[in-house]
Amino acid sequence: MSGQENAGGDRQGDATTDSQGDAATDSQVTDSADSRTTGVAGGSVVVETSDCRLSGRVIDLRERTERAVPAERVVAAVRRRRGDSGDGSDEETAVVGPDAKANVVDHDVAVTSPDPGSAHEYVGLVEPGMSLRSRTALAAAARSRGLSAPQDEELASVRAELADLSVPEVDTERARERVAGIESAVEAGRERVATVRGRLQAARDAGRETDDLREELRAAARELSEVETERAAAREALERAERRARDARDARDRRRRLEDRVANLERGARAHLVDALDEEYATAVAAVPGSNESDERDSGEVAPFDADPVTAALAVGRVAELRAPVVLAADRFESPNAAADWLDAPVVRV
Amino acid sequence: MKRRVVLLVVTYSRAARGSLRNVCRTHEETVVRRFGRVALLHETAFAAFQALRLRAKHGSDVQIERTEPFNEFEAVDEEVRVAARAYEERETPSLPYATFAARNDHPEPEDLRDREL
Repeated sequence: MSGQENAGGDRQGDATTDSQGDAATDSQVTDSADSRTTGVAGGSVVVETSDCRLSGRVIDLRERTERAVPAERVVAAVRRRRGDSGDGSDEETAVVGPDAKANVVDHDVAVTSPDPGSAHEYVGLVEPGMSLRSRTALAAAARSRGLSAPQDEELASVRAELADLSVPEVDTERARERVAGIESAVEAGRERVATVRGRLQAARDAGRETDDLREELRAAARELSEVETERAAAREALERAERRARDARDARDRRRRLEDRVANLERGARAHLVDALDEEYATAVAAVPGSNESDERDSGEVAPFDADPVTAALAVGRVAELRAPVVLAADRFESPNAAADWLDAPVVRV
Repeated sequence: MKRRVVLLVVTYSRAARGSLRNVCRTHEETVVRRFGRVALLHETAFAAFQALRLRAKHGSDVQIERTEPFNEFEAVDEEVRVAARAYEERETPSLPYATFAARNDHPEPEDLRDREL
């Protein structure tokens, strides 16, 4: 698909890349002014920045752009496509307009490429100082190759159950606040009644006129009884709210148990998937260029899952089926082309 | 005398449980005890602050209650205490309490259910 970066209704995904023969070529550069670029044969990735446009299976941004483009931004541009495409799940849809073919992130970088699969999330960006949960990443790599786990079916059904579970929202805060407010009003009312009563008694004892005070006492007593009535109502309302909250908590508890089950099943599935690929992964770890130049060189043997994150990510990337480009910011390969060959994936070197 | 009360914090989601665990780890001095997704916190404004933070973050997935120690000598009649001890010391383990109560003149379960503390 040379030179047709934006051709017609073609979704970016039709190139399943990875035919190494024609792809091991360096990227093609053009001025951004001339947007009718001829991409390299087999090039499945197009990267556009403010000052240039590159396409190909292997793209080296280091030499081509005036300003260095942050790796995170490039990988974000790759991943931003996800919500746009059928297989991508959830949330990230918002950014992409209906006809956005290559969508611009921060008006700075746009990437057109096949959709990132499950593994890309973990190893789509390889840079020094990264962190990686290598088992989780390896399980995702297994998924990218279409492997499944015996837990999948139950996992799907528990997830569905979880999605169907509705948990009522019960707000008891207002009821609590009302009760607390009314308690102090009752207290104040009582004090007032006691005070007036005391004054009335004193007036009587002194033989003074008491009509006004009697009236005041009646008023205070009336007021007190009103707030007491209100308090009873407020307490009852709180009790009702608490009962509802208790029922709602049963639902919450069910939901929490389902969440726990999902987590257990996911753990099991991950273990299964990791088991399926751990030998292949270990072999890949051993083959990562430059990995024993780092801190572990002395003793040599490091358990594959304890390999440094860059090494682990590259090994997972080699094991995984990656269609979207790996954004590479680590110096492990002689050239970006070598990286792409080793990973068997498109590469954007930054 | 002021009663020794504690705050009881119960969480109802994995996320809320995780936050509770973090709070308990960070503020050990505030925690009387933690059981999985539940914790008892000392009755201080700081503990209340932490509990309220959890609720602000996780909403109704966080339940906050105040509890106080149970004093059976204040809370229930002697016959209840006696009945409990006697039933636990019964000779036939399979004997239901209702039967046991009827035979030995202890309060009936229905009667107990209707009594409030």
